[in-house]
Amino acid sequence: MAIPISQMWTVSTYVLRNRLAGKKRYPLVLMLEPLFRCSLACAGCGKVQYPPHILKKQLTPEECFAAVEECGAPMVSIPGGEPLLHPQIVEIVNGLIARKKYIYLCTNALELKRRLPEFTPSKYLTFSVHLDGQREHHDFSVCREGGYDIAVEGIREAVRRGFRVTTNATFFDGANPHSVRAFFDEVMTMGVEGIVLSPGYSYDKAPDQTRFLGRARVRRLFRAILSNRKDSWKFNMSPLFLEFLMGDRNYECTPWGMPAFNIFGWQKPCYLLQEGYAESFAELLESTHWEEYGVASGNPKCANCMVSCGYETTAVIDGFGSLSGFFAMVRGTFSSYRSDKALKLLNDFAPESHAPLVQIATSAPALEETHA
Amino acid sequence: MTAEILKYTLEQVEALELAPGTDHQQLEGWVPELASDDDLRQALEKAFDFRGDVTLTLKSGDRIEAYIFNRHTGATLADSWIQYFTPAAQDKRKVSYAEIARIEFTGKDRAAGKHWEDWVKAYNERKAAGEKNIALKPDALE
Repeated sequence: MAIPISQMWTVSTYVLRNRLAGKKRYPLVLMLEPLFRCSLACAGCGKVQYPPHILKKQLTPEECFAAVEECGAPMVSIPGGEPLLHPQIVEIVNGLIARKKYIYLCTNALELKRRLPEFTPSKYLTFSVHLDGQREHHDFSVCREGGYDIAVEGIREAVRRGFRVTTNATFFDGANPHSVRAFFDEVMTMGVEGIVLSPGYSYDKAPDQTRFLGRARVRRLFRAILSNRKDSWKFNMSPLFLEFLMGDRNYECTPWGMPAFNIFGWQKPCYLLQEGYAESFAELLESTHWEEYGVASGNPKCANCMVSCGYETTAVIDGFGSLSGFFAMVRGTFSSYRSDKALKLLNDFAPESHAPLVQIATSAPALEETHA
Repeated sequence: MTAEILKYTLEQVEALELAPGTDHQQLEGWVPELASDDDLRQALEKAFDFRGDVTLTLKSGDRIEAYIFNRHTGATLADSWIQYFTPAAQDKRKVSYAEIARIEFTGKDRAAGKHWEDWVKAYNERKAAGEKNIALKPDALE
């Protein structure tokens, strides 16, 4: 695990404090969306399809700080839209650093290299660069040729300037586990702190509605990718969440763990679903019918979801909230997850066709069930 | 989650290979007939889910171009409201269901009409034509 000790300490003591206080629901990461405007038009994204007057709106720094203070989460992820398009993003970031919040500024990095001189390296600030795979895969995923090279240039410059940098990948149907593993090798040579990954969520507003992975396929894909790990790979994620993706653990969703705040208010019930908005975080907690969400609820909208914003909180609370969870987390941190069965799964992978657009355009890969 | 939606069993969920996507209803240009309270409620529910602007005509005769992003449904129309942004104002606004006489889905549906296959086809055609730096561009903001 590539997360610094100071950040782990902050999160672990926060979890323990809330457990000792008997709090049933508390947030771990605030998903702060200061705007929906983006410089990409990715086919798998359902976040940015709004009329122009909505895309032109943005949160003020004061609104961002008020949300952060009301919510109280120790970590703040700033997705969007593209946060670097916000004219006051530097002021927002500096204000959050002053509040000692661990920030993950999620960016497609098209503007990163140019904007870096405006930011100051800090243990509280991480640039989480959207990179979905190797060059061809990423460019196709974000529907822009040359996107990979620009992002990598931004990553290298950020690392050179002493910033914390992670990459952030989302995988859809057709992802090639061999290519993903080669991508991990490439990313680690760039000097990043770690890799963040997640299966895509089936946004009902995303342009492409045909390539969202179901849970069975997610488990096989991630077992093939994440077993037999190389020592050089570092993940900026809970090892227990990765075990969940591999099918080694069953977790329920913690939808209040990563609440989302944007120009509309506090999003109900989570970062992915938009079933309404609350005016305050307290109202969000009190007025949301939480029992209607998560895989156990049977809600079709939650059926395929294994996304980090719902399940990584569960994994983190499990890891820091019990001795067995803690030891499992430590074991996972140092394990390479050797598995002959997973190796066979990986080696048996064979795309059915070889269209020019290899990784994404191929149809169902021949991965057998893990029986994990 | 409404009661009429079919729930999955845990076994069905765990066995899903591909998650079913959403079939988008063509709402752009629609002007629903509002003969009853239920008609109004259903139309506003669709307007809440619509990623485009609608035009509301109030019983006072005022017309509002609005992006509806929130709604609250109470026991009566007077207890129910929508929350919206207009293109001209910065602040969030609210209006009761009871004040609404007509809804027109006048804006472009920003979530419709773009498919992966279209991107792949366009990419291949543009590549074959020798074009470089091929990309999908976000919609213009004006």
